[in-house]
Amino acid sequence: MVDLVKVSKTYLPDITAISDVSLSVNKGEILFLTGKSGAGKTTLLRLLSRIEKPTKGVVEVAGCDLSKLAPGKLQKLRRSIGVAYQDFKLLEDRTVAQNIAIAMEVSYTRASVMKMRTKKLLKELDLSSKYDTLASELSRGEQQRVTIARALSGNPDLILADEPTGNLDNETTAMVMDLFKYYNRRGTTLLIATHDESIYRDSDHRVIELKEGSIINGNTFPDDTVNDTAFTPEENDSAAE
Amino acid sequence: MNFLFAVFSQTFRNLLQTWSAQLLTLLTITLSVLIFVFFYLIYTNVLHVGQQLDDDLRLIVYLDEEPSKEMQEEYRRKILKFDRVDKILFVSRSEAFQRFADQLGEDRDILSDMPDDFLPSSIEVYPFRTLDTLTKIKRFSDYLMTLPGVLKVQYGREWVERFYTFINLLRLIVILSGTLLILTTTFMVANTIRLTLLGRQEELELLRLVGASTNYIRMPFFLEGAIQGMVGSTLGLGALYLLYNWIKLHLAVSSLMLVFEFTFFPLPVVLIIIGISTLLCGSGSFSSTRKFLQL
Repeated sequence: MVDLVKVSKTYLPDITAISDVSLSVNKGEILFLTGKSGAGKTTLLRLLSRIEKPTKGVVEVAGCDLSKLAPGKLQKLRRSIGVAYQDFKLLEDRTVAQNIAIAMEVSYTRASVMKMRTKKLLKELDLSSKYDTLASELSRGEQQRVTIARALSGNPDLILADEPTGNLDNETTAMVMDLFKYYNRRGTTLLIATHDESIYRDSDHRVIELKEGSIINGNTFPDDTVNDTAFTPEENDSAAE
Repeated sequence: MNFLFAVFSQTFRNLLQTWSAQLLTLLTITLSVLIFVFFYLIYTNVLHVGQQLDDDLRLIVYLDEEPSKEMQEEYRRKILKFDRVDKILFVSRSEAFQRFADQLGEDRDILSDMPDDFLPSSIEVYPFRTLDTLTKIKRFSDYLMTLPGVLKVQYGREWVERFYTFINLLRLIVILSGTLLILTTTFMVANTIRLTLLGRQEELELLRLVGASTNYIRMPFFLEGAIQGMVGSTLGLGALYLLYNWIKLHLAVSSLMLVFEFTFFPLPVVLIIIGISTLLCGSGSFSSTRKFLQL
C-alpha cells in the first residue's frame, strides 16, 4: 500500500527533515510512527499525502509514484486517503457537519449518505450534540475528533493520522483507537504518528521510531502475518452505506 | 450528489458568504450595462431616423436645356464615371411643372397663368446610402457642376453633414461605453473573485488536500461570475426599459416623438446583450481563477 525508497526531504537552506528513509506498509496494516518532536513524523505523512515532494527517493502509494502522478490522478488518489491533521485544518466558520461533509462532497456522495455517515461518526466519537455547532466554538479535543471524523468519512483505503490523540483524555483516546481498529478490520491501512506511548505500548502492530529524520528502531518491512483478507474499497462503500 | 448539484450548492454558498462584495460588483455591472445600452438604444433609434431621412438624400442637377436622349445617355455615362449611384432620374420641364402642381394641391390654380415649361429640367442623382457617400458628396456636387449645361447642383449639405457628424459621435460613444462595459465587468468580476479567493485560502487548500477535482474548485467561481453578469445585465436592461417607458410617457406629445417612432430593443438583441455580459463576466472570473489558483 505504501512504499518509501531511500526518501530524503531537505528544507532550505539546509534543514534535513527526513534522511534516506525506506519503509513499506502492507494493505490493511497499522503502523505507528513514533519519535520526539522534530523527528520527521509529520514530514513523512506530508510526503505520503503529497503536500510535500521528496528531495530524493521514491514515494509510492497504492502503486503510484507520487512525484510522477498527473493532477487528475493525484486528486483521485487523495480522495482515497483520509488525513487527520495535527493542526486540524477545520473551517472555523462552518459547522461540524459541514466540515466533515467536505471530504465526501468532493466525491459527489449523495446528501442522504453524507448525513447518515456524519451522524454515525459523530455518535461513535461522542459528538452527536455538536452536529450544528460551529467549529470555532469547539474545544481542542472536540476539534481533534472532528478532524478524525472527516478523515474517516470518505471510507478511505489509507488513513494518515498525525498525533490523533494529542488533545484527548484516556477515555476518548481509547474510543478513537477503537474506531481506528474498526476501520482497520474492514481493510483500511493506518499510519499513526504519535508521541502517546499508551496507544501502541500493548499493540502487536509495527512501531517505527524516528530520530532526526532517520529510522532508528523497528521493522521497516512488514511481517508475513499481515492481514491479507482486507475488504476491497467497493465492499467498504457498500458496508458503510 | 452529482457534479452539477455539488457545484451549484458550492456557488450559492459562496455568494451568500460574500454577499456584500458581490452586491457591489453587481451594482457596477448594472450601471456599466445601463450606460452602454442607453447610448446603444439612442444610436439604434437615431440610425433608424437616419434611414428614414436618407430616402430623401439626393443631388438635384438643374439644367439650362431639356436634354435629348443622346444627351441623357451622355450625362448618365459621365455621372457613373465619377461613382456608382443607386439611380439617376431625368425630370423634364413638364414633369417638374406637374410635380409642383401636385405639391400645391388645392392651390394649383395659382399656376394657371404660368407656362408649363417655366421650371428648368433636372437630373436627380440618388447616391448609395452609405457613410462613404457623405465624404464624397461635396466632391460629387463639384464634379456635377463641371458638366456642360448645368445651372446649379442642390443638396441638403449642411443638414446632412451635421446629421452624419452626430451619428459618428454617437457611434463613438457607443464604442467607448461598450469598451467601458467590457473593462469594468471583467475587471470588477476578476477583482471580486480574487478577493474571494484570498478570503477562502484555507478552504481552497483543504479542498485540494481532500482531492477535489480542478473543475469542482473552479466551476463555482466561473458560475459566480456568470450569474453576476446575467443578473447585472438583466437589471441594467430592466432599468433602461423603465427609463424608456418614462420618456415615452412624458414626451409623448413632443413633436419629435410624433415624427419618429422611438422603439426599444427587440427580444433577440436583449438576449444577446445578456448573453454577452454573462460570457464576459464568466470569462473574467475564469481568468482570475486560472491566475490565482495554482491547481
